[in-house]
Amino acid sequence: MSLTGISKRYGAVQAIKHADISVDAGSIHALVGENGAGKSTLIKILSGAEVADTGQITFDGSPAKISATNDAMALGIATVYQEPQLFADLTVAENVFTGREITRRGRVDWGEQNRRVVELLELIGLPARYATRTVSQLSIAEQQQVSIAKALGGEAKVLILDEPSAILTDPEIEVLFDVVRRLASSGVSIIYISHRLDELFQIAQVVTVMRDGETIAALPIAELTVRRVVELMVGGVPDEAPPPDSALDEPPRLVLEGLGSEDAFHDVDLAVRPGEVVSLYGLIGSGAGEIAECVYGMRAATSGRIVLDGEVRSPRSPRDAKRAGVALLPANRKAQGLFSFQSIAFNISAGHLPLLSRLGVWIDRSRERTIAKDLIARLAVKTPDERTVVSAMSGGNAQKVVLARQLVERPPILVLNEPTQGVDVGAKEEIHRIIGSLAQEGTAVLVVTSDLPEAIRISDRLQVVRAGTTTVEFGRGASQVDVLAAAAGAVDEEVAA
Amino acid sequence: MTAPTAARSGASSGGPPSREGTGRVLPYPVTGQEIVLIAVIAALWAVLALTTPAFMTSGSIVPLLVATAPIGMIGIGVTVVIVTGGIDVSVGGAVAVVSVVVARSLVEASIPLPLALLLAVVLGGVLGAVNGLLIAFGRVHAIIITFGTANLFRFVALQVFGGTTVNGIPDTLGVLGRGGAGRTLGIPHSFVITVVIAAAAWYYLRHTAGGRHFYVIGGDAHAARLAGVAVLRRILMAYVLTGLLTGLGACMLLAQGTSTLAPNVGLGLELTVIAAVVIGGTSIMGGRGGVLGTLLGALLVQTVASGVTQLGWPSQLSPLFIGVFILIAVGTDLLRQRTRRTS
Amino acid sequence: MSAVLAPPGSSGDARGHESSPARLLRVLLTQRSALLLLLLVAVLITFTIASSNNYLTAPYDVGYLSVTLINAVPLVMLGLAELLVITSGRGGIDLSVGAIVSLTSMVFGFAYGQWGWNLWLAVLAAAVFGGLCGAINGVLIAYVGYPALITTLATYYAFSSLALVINDQKPISTAPIQDFYSTARAVPVPLLGDDALRVPLGIVTFLVPTAVLVWLLLARSPYGRRLYAIGTNDVAARWAGIDVRGTRFTAYVLAGVVSGLVAVVTVAQFASARPDAGVSGNGMALPAITIAILGGVAITGGVGRVAGVVLATLLIVWLNAGILLAFPGNAGGQFQLLALGLVLVFAALLNGYTNRRYRGEA
Repeated sequence: MSLTGISKRYGAVQAIKHADISVDAGSIHALVGENGAGKSTLIKILSGAEVADTGQITFDGSPAKISATNDAMALGIATVYQEPQLFADLTVAENVFTGREITRRGRVDWGEQNRRVVELLELIGLPARYATRTVSQLSIAEQQQVSIAKALGGEAKVLILDEPSAILTDPEIEVLFDVVRRLASSGVSIIYISHRLDELFQIAQVVTVMRDGETIAALPIAELTVRRVVELMVGGVPDEAPPPDSALDEPPRLVLEGLGSEDAFHDVDLAVRPGEVVSLYGLIGSGAGEIAECVYGMRAATSGRIVLDGEVRSPRSPRDAKRAGVALLPANRKAQGLFSFQSIAFNISAGHLPLLSRLGVWIDRSRERTIAKDLIARLAVKTPDERTVVSAMSGGNAQKVVLARQLVERPPILVLNEPTQGVDVGAKEEIHRIIGSLAQEGTAVLVVTSDLPEAIRISDRLQVVRAGTTTVEFGRGASQVDVLAAAAGAVDEEVAA
Repeated sequence: MTAPTAARSGASSGGPPSREGTGRVLPYPVTGQEIVLIAVIAALWAVLALTTPAFMTSGSIVPLLVATAPIGMIGIGVTVVIVTGGIDVSVGGAVAVVSVVVARSLVEASIPLPLALLLAVVLGGVLGAVNGLLIAFGRVHAIIITFGTANLFRFVALQVFGGTTVNGIPDTLGVLGRGGAGRTLGIPHSFVITVVIAAAAWYYLRHTAGGRHFYVIGGDAHAARLAGVAVLRRILMAYVLTGLLTGLGACMLLAQGTSTLAPNVGLGLELTVIAAVVIGGTSIMGGRGGVLGTLLGALLVQTVASGVTQLGWPSQLSPLFIGVFILIAVGTDLLRQRTRRTS
Repeated sequence: MSAVLAPPGSSGDARGHESSPARLLRVLLTQRSALLLLLLVAVLITFTIASSNNYLTAPYDVGYLSVTLINAVPLVMLGLAELLVITSGRGGIDLSVGAIVSLTSMVFGFAYGQWGWNLWLAVLAAAVFGGLCGAINGVLIAYVGYPALITTLATYYAFSSLALVINDQKPISTAPIQDFYSTARAVPVPLLGDDALRVPLGIVTFLVPTAVLVWLLLARSPYGRRLYAIGTNDVAARWAGIDVRGTRFTAYVLAGVVSGLVAVVTVAQFASARPDAGVSGNGMALPAITIAILGGVAITGGVGRVAGVVLATLLIVWLNAGILLAFPGNAGGQFQLLALGLVLVFAALLNGYTNRRYRGEA
């Protein structure tokens, strides 16, 4: 299969400028690139969820047209997304055959389905007895394997795996690799997307690198090293000048000592001083986001301790965290941040009702208006007024509104979880500027991000989170190549060199 | 024949020990909730049999089964609706429409039994189709639409009543009633019919692709559409099915009544049916449940009603017990889901 | 992330240059109060014309309209109770309000009619008792995680059963209760100096205070903000540090308190504490939910205003009043069902259309 000259534009954004990819039968082809490089869009085009503006698709030597998901399925292209899309209350066998049940005289042929599912389960390394388990009884890793089985059930010739390892533990990843290798050897072509570059060397035969909407290289794995891949991903972007150092010479406001929480992360050590911006840089599934949740009281710490302003204190709830002076910008704007069909003023004041009320029974609406207007001006939110409903706003503006909510009470400790995810370039620039000025005013800022240039650009210190713990620390002006190599799992000595 | 499996216990987990791949291909046909219900009903019957000598006589059991039949019958349809993630609170109104039209046809046109049944089922199906079309294609939450159609159906029924009761209804439907004509070898026909239709519905829901799709839709309608399931058509079908069975249930209610039909027929029936469905273990969130449980739920509801009167307590106490049973049934289901998720 | 971004300002500016008919349509569809007001005016004009042409059995005038307002008292109040719980989100609904009315009627009947409590104390007791019933719903729904529909179905059964059993199905109509009827009478409105204009006292003593308090609570108090917040997005509310469970629990308690007060109103109206006051016939819960939805309360939570509920009630009550005059006898009551059903289905389909057109929902 091959795609040539693919381009795709969404409104003003050119998601893909020019992409070529060619996958041989039975080969494992890795697709890598930074966030926003165009990988997801390319996958959507392949699976029929989006239609390319230009370009040709050739399948088995003849030109093909993919304009809907059904076309892709008919060609034998199956996609397994990061989050398993299964029906929890149905059995594995039923899930695999939903929508294409095998029937005999009107009745679902359970025996035949089961036999086929057992074959598929054997192929992917799950015990046959799982065929009759309900999906809700399986672990996430097992569910993902079932998703692969489901994709294969449609006689897939090309299997696209979108960051399958992100939610898996190391032993589970080993199992996944076995499955992928076995599939490839049976003739299925695999397109494997991952952020963990060390994995590629265990599994891929060819690596295609995307950068800024273009496929810039397709090389056999033997010619590559982790460092070389990173350089290709990052490109010749000059590392920017570091921001002015605003860290104050005061005792740290936020200290994490050997902090751990169940399976999510362990032994995290960290200190943030007033006026300092510290970043936790980690790939999806690294555990960085969970550390932020723990500081904000959304997740219980099971080991270690949190020290806030010199006092040992583990917030038990977001309200408790707020009382201790911690504010947090949630990672998922739509699900965790926005009250979508409410006004900007409503969204900003939502977390601060006691502050904005007189005697606790009466909202001081003029004060609310003043605060909203003030923050709209400070954060340069583009809106006619503070009564505008947020659902009509662009991603960047909406993100600023959620950020504004965190700033109402001028918190001494500000945690920002993915502050610029899904935000346009201009708004991203402005949010970085805001973070800088907050630090200038003496706020202790902890940023959790999977956006590497952002992490380097805004932080005084940068800690890499990998496999659930903090690993290497970089100072100001670190090089992207070094940081990414550390996060993607190149051996530490190489980085230190 | 040992099972060295690490099977986590769960109501619907893997089957009995078997050679891999050739044994059981489906979870058990009976879920935990249904077994518990059978035990509860058995216990209630045992207690009632011991305390009130009259309970275990056909004079008491037959009316109980006859009263269970229409609730169970309509409950089969409502179960399917709830499994898809919907709800139907208009069945009381639909029963009123069907009852009065059939009653007047019996009185004024003396239509024979087959025609009466056909009329009831077709009329019920039409009313169900009204709900189904509005819900599937109007894309409005089922509870709102069926609240609205409940009012509309009742209006239609009252128009047909014409402001008075229907009197002198002949005994054409007696074959479904609780009198001698309604029994063969002492077993009431209406209950047998309900059991047969429940069995058919059980088979359809469990063993055909179409039946399984109701569950898929209730689990995640969006994912179902992506998997190629005809979501809108299935939803329409669920309401039409409810309508058809409501028509049949209305005939049973008519047969159980006196020769007079009052305009308040079917009032509050929708809540009794939903209670039976929920006690039977069908999740109001959709995606889970079955008609077997509903039949047992209906039997439990009627056992409580019958038991309360048998014990000489005020009959108004029975809703209290039904309420408590609903809370217990839903509570155990919540608990089961929670432990399953944390284990 | 290659997010799909609209050009800056495009969505905000789009409304700037729409034609005025399109703008009128948008206001009518998105502002439920505007639509209800328009319908209300249409109803009033239609029946007034019909009245002046003698199509009606009695004049459809201001005096008649004000007397029929007595029907609005329980409807508005319970509509507001539903507004509170439906707005709290997560499938919030309360089927038990009618049963709470029944049970609290009996409690009030005992307290005021038999134990000889002071009136204010008895009214307070009714409110507290209603609140306790609501608290049972609230605990199960907000803290234990029961679905609201099922919980309130169960408590509907339980409360209505207790109401019937508590006094052996007999109503309480002792002397104090019968005298209490006087509070339900219509009183002249002095400031217009017109004898014909009499407003039922319940409007002044119960409806207006409840409506004003609920409005203050929703539109002006921190609690209202929290309620809209959890109804709009309860995950985001948790991240914003809002006590989601406590807020939802309180909504059910408040619905119970309002139902308790409605019990007092119905006792006054019937001059008797009836054990089936809130559940006889179609019951009180279904019309109340209907009114709330018609008033623009979104069944998915987070959207709904007091003005919408009040206007929806006036629309239904005055439409019904006109129908009663147009179709004498039983037919009137029947056409009321038709009107209620049609208006509800129409409003629901309109909601669906509005959401797709203006809120971009699929």
